[in-house]
Amino acid sequence: MLMAEQVHKRYGPVRALAGFDLRIAAGEVVGLIGRNGAGKSTFAGIAAGLLRPDQGGVRVDGIDIARDPVQARRRLGLAGQELALYPTATVAENLRLFGGLHGLRGRLLHDRIEDAASALDVTDLLARRVGTLSGGQQRRVHTAAALLHEPAVLLLDEPTVGADPASRQALLATVRARARAGAAVCYTTHYLPELELLGATVALADAGRVVFRGTRAELLATLPPIGGRPPTLDDVFQRWSAAAEEALDVA
Amino acid sequence: MWREPANRILVIARHQLVLLRRAPGPLIAYTVMPIVLTTLLEPVRAQLADAGTPGIVAAAPGMLVMFSLFMTGVIGDSLLVERAWNTWDRLRTTPTRPLELLVGKALPLLAALLAQQAVVLGYAAVAYRLDLAAAGPRTAAVGGAWALCVVGCGTALATAVRSHAQLSAVKDIATLALAGLGGALIPVALLPSWAGPLAPLSPGFWAMRGYTDALTGRTEAAGLSIGILLAVGATGLAAAALRIRRTTS
Repeated sequence: MLMAEQVHKRYGPVRALAGFDLRIAAGEVVGLIGRNGAGKSTFAGIAAGLLRPDQGGVRVDGIDIARDPVQARRRLGLAGQELALYPTATVAENLRLFGGLHGLRGRLLHDRIEDAASALDVTDLLARRVGTLSGGQQRRVHTAAALLHEPAVLLLDEPTVGADPASRQALLATVRARARAGAAVCYTTHYLPELELLGATVALADAGRVVFRGTRAELLATLPPIGGRPPTLDDVFQRWSAAAEEALDVA
Repeated sequence: MWREPANRILVIARHQLVLLRRAPGPLIAYTVMPIVLTTLLEPVRAQLADAGTPGIVAAAPGMLVMFSLFMTGVIGDSLLVERAWNTWDRLRTTPTRPLELLVGKALPLLAALLAQQAVVLGYAAVAYRLDLAAAGPRTAAVGGAWALCVVGCGTALATAVRSHAQLSAVKDIATLALAGLGGALIPVALLPSWAGPLAPLSPGFWAMRGYTDALTGRTEAAGLSIGILLAVGATGLAAAALRIRRTTS
């Protein structure tokens, strides 16, 4: 499971996280949503051990990532918002590198690459250089690299950005399968329908903290119909953003 | 205890080899150019050399020293592209420690530098009858120390610069300054009077001196050069490791 408690992070005068709490159980998919600058990517960076919190901490499968990053990272898979692959290497070479660094060898590494490639529909691309692939294909390879070692905690930061419908379906199916296998999944997105397809609960981040935790329906129910139409995600963001600002002012 | 880090270093080294194979241009250029320039400059170095010393003893090591220093650009580039491709952070989300990354990436580059020296000195042996058979082990020791020194300087440079443009400028200026000051282009004795006392500050000077001593049978003198080159290389690697540790913590 993934547990973040009272995480604070500042970049100079900018407060990126201000008491960020999040708990994701094994087998649960949590859709982390929020406007740009809400703190989602900073949280992902801290949860992956790339950034140090000023205060508070994150536990990955029970291990404090700041205290024992090597052990925590064994249990963690991250597919960040930016594609992170070697364009001059083939898909197979990229996957061999990331699998190998997680301790996979020989037959096991080969099988895991085949499984991940099959799940994300990139088997036919294994011998192709990443730089020659389309954006959607690269996105699938990028995600496959995070799955090879079957991590207990999966952090996916906007994994469907730039993905075509087929890629999106493959990604969502793979995330569902990983959750069914017991992984705790933190799924950052701007698209609420994806969370419904994933059967995910929602964590709404704003001003550096989680201001709502619940189902998608519960989230949308927090606002009455606006001008005769159901509330949209933008409406929800605005509503919770204003509430969060008010709460912080009071604090 | 050591097995997992060693395996990760090997995984990174193997991958770095793949990346070098996909973009071999600089490695080929920095191996062919010293051969071309050695051929052109050997008669000049023969005229400038002490009586009885073949010109090739200075010509081949001189060009080797200069083009080995240019290889710091390849070393720097191998680390800078990791940032451009966002792969540095991704590597950091694996159990790999920063020092393992550094060593894994440096190993193939060390091998490339050793191969460069073998090719250039091999050419000198075949084309100019440079007596490598007699000086083989000594020359190999100097070559190994020089390769480590260049890798150390290259990794330190790579962690200090922030862009390819910076890397290119620093590499070009430093290479020509250190090679020139070290006597790789013309003998130190022919440099301006103010440059002579500064020459030992250049690692290129110790590489030139080490090669010349090794190739002319002055084993003990070569030992001093080897020691200094290893110390410079170790300092460069330590500086790079400290900087990477600081920037990743």
